[in-house]
Amino acid sequence: MSFTSLSSAWLFALIIPLVIFYFLKLKRPRQTIPSLVLWRQVMNDQRVNSPFQRFKRNLLLLLQLLLLALLVLAAMQPFLRREPQRAARLPVLVDVSASMAALDKSGGRSRLDEARQQLRERIDAMLPDQELCLIAFSKSARKLTGFTSNKTELRDAVAGLVVDDVPGELDEALHLAQALARTAPFDRVLVLTDGNLPARANFELPFQLDLQKIPAAGANIGITALNARRTTGSEWEVFVQLACTANTTATTATLELVESGKPLASEQVAIAPGTAPRLAFRLRGERPLLVCATLRTSGFDALAADNVAWLKLPAMRPLDVFVPESLATFRHALAALDGLRIFPAKDIPSPTTYDLAFVEKPEDAKLAAQVLCSVGFVPEELRALVSIEKKGTAAIDWRRESPLLQHVGLDEVLFMDDPVTTAGKDGQAFRLLGYEALADGPHGPLALTRNEGERTRVHLLFHPDRSTLPYRVAFPVLVSNLVQAAQRANGLSESAGQPTGVLRVPGFAAAANVKVTGPAPGTRTEQADESGIATGIPAPRVGEYLLTSGTHEERVGVSLLSPEETSLAAVDEVQFADRIAVSTANFAPKTDRSLWWSLAFAGFILLLVEWWWFQRRTV
Amino acid sequence: MTAAQVTSLLTNRDLDRLARLRLNASRRFTNRARGEHLAAKGGTSTEFCDTRDYSPGDDVRYLDWNAFARINRPYLKQYHQEEELHVALLVDASSSMMFEGKFDLARKLAAAFGMLGLRGSEKVSACSLQNASPARLAPCSGRASAAKLFAFLESLEPGGEQPVEVGIETFLRQHKGRGVVVLISDFLTTGDLRRAFNLLHGAGLEPFALQILAPSELAPEVSGDFRLVDSESAATLDISSANDLLTLYHEYRTSLEQQIATLAQQRSGRALTISAAEPFERLFFETLRRKGWVA
Repeated sequence: MSFTSLSSAWLFALIIPLVIFYFLKLKRPRQTIPSLVLWRQVMNDQRVNSPFQRFKRNLLLLLQLLLLALLVLAAMQPFLRREPQRAARLPVLVDVSASMAALDKSGGRSRLDEARQQLRERIDAMLPDQELCLIAFSKSARKLTGFTSNKTELRDAVAGLVVDDVPGELDEALHLAQALARTAPFDRVLVLTDGNLPARANFELPFQLDLQKIPAAGANIGITALNARRTTGSEWEVFVQLACTANTTATTATLELVESGKPLASEQVAIAPGTAPRLAFRLRGERPLLVCATLRTSGFDALAADNVAWLKLPAMRPLDVFVPESLATFRHALAALDGLRIFPAKDIPSPTTYDLAFVEKPEDAKLAAQVLCSVGFVPEELRALVSIEKKGTAAIDWRRESPLLQHVGLDEVLFMDDPVTTAGKDGQAFRLLGYEALADGPHGPLALTRNEGERTRVHLLFHPDRSTLPYRVAFPVLVSNLVQAAQRANGLSESAGQPTGVLRVPGFAAAANVKVTGPAPGTRTEQADESGIATGIPAPRVGEYLLTSGTHEERVGVSLLSPEETSLAAVDEVQFADRIAVSTANFAPKTDRSLWWSLAFAGFILLLVEWWWFQRRTV
Repeated sequence: MTAAQVTSLLTNRDLDRLARLRLNASRRFTNRARGEHLAAKGGTSTEFCDTRDYSPGDDVRYLDWNAFARINRPYLKQYHQEEELHVALLVDASSSMMFEGKFDLARKLAAAFGMLGLRGSEKVSACSLQNASPARLAPCSGRASAAKLFAFLESLEPGGEQPVEVGIETFLRQHKGRGVVVLISDFLTTGDLRRAFNLLHGAGLEPFALQILAPSELAPEVSGDFRLVDSESAATLDISSANDLLTLYHEYRTSLEQQIATLAQQRSGRALTISAAEPFERLFFETLRRKGWVA
């Protein structure tokens, strides 16, 4: 047993005035009797004056001394040392990722409830010189309290913990703890988690880390992926990936696709423990859809957040492609592809914006297009970096993994335009302008790309007509890749469910105020950027988010879609960047036990006994 | 007191019952004056006592001529001497007797014993034991003195701090006459009771000691801590855990009772400890009669 406030022992000096006042101020009830003769004889008897009788005679004093001793001991704040390493300052990182909402049984407690319970026990056991700092983390981390010994504040923070429907990551929480250590040093960090964390963390541990694992949850089945791919016809092929834990008791599950309350499709699937069934549906794509996939199981399901997912499918339409008449090779290649409207065209007015544009003149580079491909000239912003010389050259390297150059082979292709990088400039200068080289010649980049918000710019610094490329199969493939890029940019080729985290929703006016209403109570207002994209919208909850700006509104469904969270798998060890592995502990370590309240309570009981003793002494 | 009652101390019924009782003194300390009590020595009454050898000078009128005629030796017939018995009533009227009816019972007992004396044609005197100048009732006799006795006892006011042994000494300075002293007190004194009893015995008084204790003295109901105050001296005594001391208290109280009984019996007297809560009728007409104090 140790004492937190040993200096309070001076209070034992109060025994002296207590004894003095006891004998000076002892008020005894007076009782007049005929004669003291017999009582004097009694009091003079040797038996009355034995040490034991003296003790009994001064029982009230002894009770008061005992009471004082208890109070002074309580003031010295004793505690039982049960924790091998007692931390005066302890940051506690509480996992609030989606898996923490998993229940242990039907109608049971969630992992966060267990964490709350352990936190409350730790707060109750806090000694006066100890301070806790609560940090909640999921994909990001937020500090709930600073280092404080205020139990009320800590308990309020614990009560306010809510689960974010996002995967858990430890890195940011540890970085936040590290930042805290600069102002308030500490040696240990405690992590309360269900263990559903990445097995590796990109963090070098400057402190001791205690990973305390909360007991595992029950069986779970959920949707881990929801996406769609455009078929050759005007249909969407929707894929739903399910996953279930090895201990599941459910035998069947029903997946239902609903749009605005109207069922679109439904399928029942047999569930085997540990499997990951995949379902496919076909939906017509004439109109935009916000499809809600809902999973219902026949048995217990620990996590509810992964039983629903949304998928936004735009209406299918032909792509508007601008190709000047002079680019006949491109027109020829595009004519072989379906679902395109090529402009300029006879009898069809040209639209103001295009999905894909091929330009060969610098003045056409300002055309409003989702994907713009310039050919044969150097864009204005690159003229200081590169120039085109009229001489033959060949590609020496290209990015085969880029979607734009997928299946495009540039070997043995001759180019009569040779881009030459300005002397003194290198690839870094292009990267500083946001450009990425797709293909490189011996003297400079042959093709560059740059993403400008929602738009993509591709610059071919050679003219295909002055190369052997049109005579190669690579050319139509390149054109097809550009068409697919345009389709992807417009969401017309494939679509995936929006996971929880941060939203990025295009389609608003530039710098428009966007009001966001989510599944959680309350609304917030964000401002769209110059491209009309509302970015940085936090979406930590699964559900539908409504974004409105004036009369324009966008509805977005946000889903968990995390195989890791759905699996509820718990790591036994987390590997850190400095090759330190921290094992998770399955039991809560014993905390130091404060005894002051026990002593104070004993003192109170003693006070009651003394009061009773004082009150009962009636003659 | 109703109009028909003679005294507030005793009911008329008690007075009637007293008329049938006599004080039963074990030793015959009597006055020379003629009375109804038979003296130990031979006397001139009509009640035959014994015979003895004739000595020259004896009154020949008391010769037993029948015996002389039969055996031709002179014997003298002796008769009981009927002498007067002095009944002294000593009533402790100190402050310690003011509790729980002790003094009232003492006055009733004194009145009863006094009435026995007056009805027996004895001299009865009374004295209170309370201070240096106690109230006294001069010796009186005859039933006509009953009113005087009752008036005296009724007029007694308790209060005073004189110990009982000092009161006895004060009383004996002015007392004359042998007989019985009815000493009614609680005997709660630190003084020397042996000396007081010796003085009484030396004065020819057979002690009838009645110790009256209040119920709270016989069985104190005390516990915890308190401060006791002496009713006479106002002295204080702090007691803690009194309930634990009760055993000792009873030991000392019993010891005092035995001491009084021993002191009285050694001087041919009687002693009895009674509770102030005990009804007078049962005490006097049953207890004292059964114990042979009255007959």
